[in-house]
Amino acid sequence: MIRLEDLSVAFDGAEVVKNINLELRDGEILGLVGESGSGKSVTALTLMGLVSDAAQVTSGRILFDDVTLLEAGRPRDRSLYRGYQGNKMSMIFQEPMTSLNPTQRVGKQVDEVLRLHTGLSPEERRKRVLEMFRAVGLREEEKVYASYPHQLSGGMRQRVMIAMAVILHPRLLVADEPTTALDVTIQSQIIGLLREINEKQKNTMLFITHDLNLARRICRRIAVMKDGRVVEQGDTEQIFGHPAREYTRKLIEAVPSRIKTNKAARMADTAGEPAVQVRDLSVFYQDGGNSLFSRNRRRCVVEGAEFDIYPGESVGLVGESGCGKTSLARAVLGMNRDITGQVVHRTMGPQMIFQDPYSSLNPAKTVGWLLQEPLRARGLLDREKAMTGEEMEEAAYEMLRRVGMDDLYFHRRPSQLSGGQRQRVSIAQALITHPGFIVADEPVSALDVTIQAQIMELMQELQQEMKLAYLFISHDINVVYRMCDRIMVMRKGRIIESGDRSEIFEDPKEEYTRQLLRDS
Amino acid sequence: MRYVVKKLITLIMTLFLVSAAAFLAFQVIPGDVVTSILGTEATPEREEQLREELGLNDPPVTRYLNWMGGVLRGDLGVSYRYSKNMNEMMPVTELIGDKMPVTLWLAALSLVLIVALSIPLGVIWARSKSHFLDAAFGVATQTAMAIPSFFLGILVTYLFGIVFRMFAPGGYVSYKEDFGAFLGYLLFPALSLAIPKIAMTARFLRNSMLTELGADYVRTAYGKGCTRRRVMYGHVLRNALMPVVTFLGMIIAEIVAGSIVIEQVFALPGIGRLLISSISNRDLPVVEILILYITFVVIFVYFLVDILYRVIDPRISGK
Amino acid sequence: MASRISSLKWNKYLFAGLFMTGLAVLLGIAGFFRTPYSTTAMSAAERFDPPSLRHLFGTDNFGRDIFSRVMQGMGTTILISALVVLFSAVLGIVLGALTGYFGGLADEVVMRFVDAVNGFPSILLALVMISILGNGRQNLILSLGIVFTPSYVRIVRSEYLRLRDADYIRRARLMGVGKARILFVHILPNILPVFWVSVMIGLNNAILAESGMSYLGIGVQPPDASLGNMLSDAQGYLQAAPWYALAPGLAIVWVVLGFSLFSEGIRRLCE
Repeated sequence: MIRLEDLSVAFDGAEVVKNINLELRDGEILGLVGESGSGKSVTALTLMGLVSDAAQVTSGRILFDDVTLLEAGRPRDRSLYRGYQGNKMSMIFQEPMTSLNPTQRVGKQVDEVLRLHTGLSPEERRKRVLEMFRAVGLREEEKVYASYPHQLSGGMRQRVMIAMAVILHPRLLVADEPTTALDVTIQSQIIGLLREINEKQKNTMLFITHDLNLARRICRRIAVMKDGRVVEQGDTEQIFGHPAREYTRKLIEAVPSRIKTNKAARMADTAGEPAVQVRDLSVFYQDGGNSLFSRNRRRCVVEGAEFDIYPGESVGLVGESGCGKTSLARAVLGMNRDITGQVVHRTMGPQMIFQDPYSSLNPAKTVGWLLQEPLRARGLLDREKAMTGEEMEEAAYEMLRRVGMDDLYFHRRPSQLSGGQRQRVSIAQALITHPGFIVADEPVSALDVTIQAQIMELMQELQQEMKLAYLFISHDINVVYRMCDRIMVMRKGRIIESGDRSEIFEDPKEEYTRQLLRDS
Repeated sequence: MRYVVKKLITLIMTLFLVSAAAFLAFQVIPGDVVTSILGTEATPEREEQLREELGLNDPPVTRYLNWMGGVLRGDLGVSYRYSKNMNEMMPVTELIGDKMPVTLWLAALSLVLIVALSIPLGVIWARSKSHFLDAAFGVATQTAMAIPSFFLGILVTYLFGIVFRMFAPGGYVSYKEDFGAFLGYLLFPALSLAIPKIAMTARFLRNSMLTELGADYVRTAYGKGCTRRRVMYGHVLRNALMPVVTFLGMIIAEIVAGSIVIEQVFALPGIGRLLISSISNRDLPVVEILILYITFVVIFVYFLVDILYRVIDPRISGK
Repeated sequence: MASRISSLKWNKYLFAGLFMTGLAVLLGIAGFFRTPYSTTAMSAAERFDPPSLRHLFGTDNFGRDIFSRVMQGMGTTILISALVVLFSAVLGIVLGALTGYFGGLADEVVMRFVDAVNGFPSILLALVMISILGNGRQNLILSLGIVFTPSYVRIVRSEYLRLRDADYIRRARLMGVGKARILFVHILPNILPVFWVSVMIGLNNAILAESGMSYLGIGVQPPDASLGNMLSDAQGYLQAAPWYALAPGLAIVWVVLGFSLFSEGIRRLCE
């Protein structure tokens, strides 16, 4: 049994974890849920004794089977911790690629745990590691043993991490967003594996996630964190059914989910001409670079895509990473040149909204400059549409207000804005020239759920106001459900299924679509 | 293996390009070679004869091909400046032959000093927790990097040569006579050449280690229960050394350049001094060969570093 | 609290760097107009005077005031280096921006050339170019400028290569922003922090290269003073007048250290 009693952790005098009380019972899976910056990772790292030296425990203590691991006012006892780390408690991280040593064979990295904590001979250790690899579902374990991390797939790397964590049957397993970096189908395999290990080894698990749906699927109890405090904890179903706190309720509501009814009314204007028409579109990429010696290979990444999008309509494009979604989107906008087929635009200057709000705004410029730039560019291209400086400034302020931001942000730089605010500016920049068609490439994937909901709401509002046609790309089928009228499922460069939202969700034709729906 | 062959072909192509560039560049130099050899008082007949002898009347391309053909056969041409005796001209091969080892040993000794001293220093620096030690390392390396090697050479001469009398300035001993004494004398120029680079490399390694210490896999290693020491030497050091290998490779070009200047400071009869004097004497065949030779050394070292990097970094070679 | 400590930290670098470079530049500029003593007037009576209040750094083998000559030499060195960096940085930005952003055959050609020059020991290349072009200040600036250009091309090119596919540049293209505007209005401001640091480093390398060449007798010619040729003269009198070598040598160290502290300060400021 592990207890965190009144635990507070501060960095440079600022508390990021405030008076937390958590109790982990034997064999249970406790979900620690919260948005980014809520203090859930710091809590886990403190528990594991892995938090950086800059952190200070300002109050409380951590108990592990009545042994005080950590206590306020006492320096961290590293040698005491070393006896627990890897042995009685271990941790799985979000990014298996960077969490493994890139220049050491993965077998040796798992072996190190045994070397540190057991007196086994090298042959016995090797046997144990290979057995463990098999147990976590790694086939060809000999080959995996001798591999370097970069030679394995994301899912395999995470399996290696899990093998490393559970090889000594630790009492406590901390999993910090263990599936966030993975595709949905791999995600559910990993979740299944963690559950299986929990049942077999009976370890206590602290499962940290920002994804409420995921927490609901795996955890018996949930603790919700906000701004460093645990605002609510209890049984999973109780929390989902009757959240006691306002914040918890908001959090649950913000999560896009198929269970909830979709509020957005269908407003597509399919009677007239489509805003964009795509016919038999294939996209190619050059492999092998420009070396003198290797012959270039032209690889087809999208094959024979066909669809129409009408004004006021949102069409969703779903698929796993690498399936060609983004290549297709870029080709539709003319950003990929190596294509065959036809793309016809009937609106002026289609624009794109990107996933990462941190890289889609020029960091050297102010918000005001960024908003005016599309107008300036249009003026330079077409004299008739040139506006005076005052007109442009006026239009920029107007647009800023329209995406729900205060005038005072006009002179700020992107680095001074939060992720949600940046995405708002991004949307404003895309819409300031009044285009009829927008490609949104995972526009909310990098955002916290509550912000996600706000941005989607904003996008729907603006769509109604401006009769926009959206091509909405996402890996998250629930987000697409919330946003889109029509859905296309993409796999390995082909659109394998498309139809109205209800068709896709209620009566999927393809096995792959069914699997996607099951896994999310 | 295919990669090595590919690299070798590029290497040879680069050498040819450099040779052509070097050869052609010297065609545009003002001033007549023949006048500079014979002086202004020679008869036109004698001038013409020498011109014919040196092949100066041929078009540049033919001359380049002749010259290159000679180089490939091991005939490096003759010096315009030095001669064996009244009737025989000095082959460049002989001129360079006994000077080459001096420069090579100087560069090699510096490189050994750099590697042997900078790596431990960088590691100690990265491990030091004391604020004072950290600052002291910082100031010391900044200062060492700001000293030009020739000034350092002069300081070393003054301090070890004149004040402490640990070696006799100008008392060079040929490697043919006494190899031990040769290396002993070479130690001081090598040290002057190495000190700024040691500071640079130590700094680079320390920064690289600090970057690596912030990596996720370090957290994983602590999570297994590794000690700080084990994390440092078992995980961080190897990863931190990868970029240092590339860095050292780049430094080699600088060592070669530096040795040219340092030879001047310590009056070492290496190819650096020969190059300087040949440039001021417009002894073109010597200059061309030296350029080609130095290019070869530098490119070859880059090639070796590249291969070495593939051997030690599984991320590149593992495919 | 902690942010105040760290801001003091960079202030220390910036302060020291500014002080050292400021003093050097001021003395150097002053040296062009007026020096305490003539830099060329010889005096047999005052040969090898050790440092004193009369002659701050002593006198040399011709009885010339070393402090005055160091002033002049410092000015010459800094001016030449600044011109070298100006030449190579401007050329580097233009070539780097074009090759990095557009790629293609021109990029291949320029990069092969850049690789060849970059791999070659810089002093050596400058020596060769001087031997082709002939001695003289203009030729010194030109050849060092050409030698230093590739490193800027490389830095600028890799930044452009990195940013040309940045989301915000893709968007700018989608908005119909012109190519020149993307190159110099959208991308350029983003590479300036990296660029300034490399300019400072380049300035240091130029100072070291210039003084090295003058030391070898190529570059600034006597009787004009430069820190390098003073050192070369002084080497012959190490036993009799160690201060003669120490003064120009320490002047070089002072200038270079000042610039590197300054650039370290800037780097920390940008972070």
